[in-house]
Amino acid sequence: MGTEFVALLGLAGLSSAFAFVALVLAAWMAWRIVEKAGLPGWTGLGAVLLTLTGVGTIVPLILLWIFAFMRWPRDAAFASPARAPAAPGPATGGPMAGSSGAGGSTAPAAPSALPPPPKALADGRGWTLTGKLGDGQAVSLSFDASASAWMLTGAAAAQPTDLSLPDPSVGQPHARLMVAGARLGLADLGTAGGTFIDGARLLPEHGPRDITAVRTIRLGGVELTLSRV
Amino acid sequence: MPDPFYHLLAWVLGFGSFFLLVLLIGHVLVALVVIIPTWRICVRAGFAGAWSLLHLIPVIGSFVVMAILAFGDWPNGEATSD
Repeated sequence: MGTEFVALLGLAGLSSAFAFVALVLAAWMAWRIVEKAGLPGWTGLGAVLLTLTGVGTIVPLILLWIFAFMRWPRDAAFASPARAPAAPGPATGGPMAGSSGAGGSTAPAAPSALPPPPKALADGRGWTLTGKLGDGQAVSLSFDASASAWMLTGAAAAQPTDLSLPDPSVGQPHARLMVAGARLGLADLGTAGGTFIDGARLLPEHGPRDITAVRTIRLGGVELTLSRV
Repeated sequence: MPDPFYHLLAWVLGFGSFFLLVLLIGHVLVALVVIIPTWRICVRAGFAGAWSLLHLIPVIGSFVVMAILAFGDWPNGEATSD
């Protein structure tokens, strides 16, 4: 009888130890997650520790929903023009200062290029962006490495390197494509419609992003499929 | 073997299967309540929303999703990055 009791006690102790470690780990991770969103870390830790109290798991669950759908301070910080000059983006942070949310009135920035890959193979192929405008009209834009930067704009093409997307949701200009060897980069210029890479929002503060292996980009309401030609 | 044995076995197996099915449906329903907000958090962070489906894995799944969000670099930017 004594042996069984000790065994049960040991099992309970082991379970409690695992539960304690899991709780500490979850609290630590929750702290980091909410901090990344711009909230005080203790709010995440507190939400996890609430499971220890009488409120059980309902309140932390409600807090999870609130956290998912609330406006994060991170988003507000990225949207404010004051942040742009301090952004560490290699090419677009500076020129885009004060232009976020300008709704198509952004001044074009100086072209910049992604650094070439260390061992780039010769690749003469170009790229094509295909999709449909808001009015259902099909659009196909082709470009290649003959220019290091291409401007995606909702206005008519004024320069040889302008790629025109005549749609009201596309800024004038909207985003910049950068070609370096076999790599392709995309930088948002801070228009209201937004730029999305495979569904994820690209902000001006992010600087140029490598989209060589990306399938779709969205400029405002226009979704474009990227392919090599 | 007498017939009552098979009769009992059929009942046990039938009840066990039903219990497992109810358990599975219950688990999926409860996981959905967590998956929906986590999906949105993943997308807002810049990750694929499908990572939230890890909640379907009992016990360890939630920790994996949290670890990805807590220790991975958010493609859409972090408030603490600068």
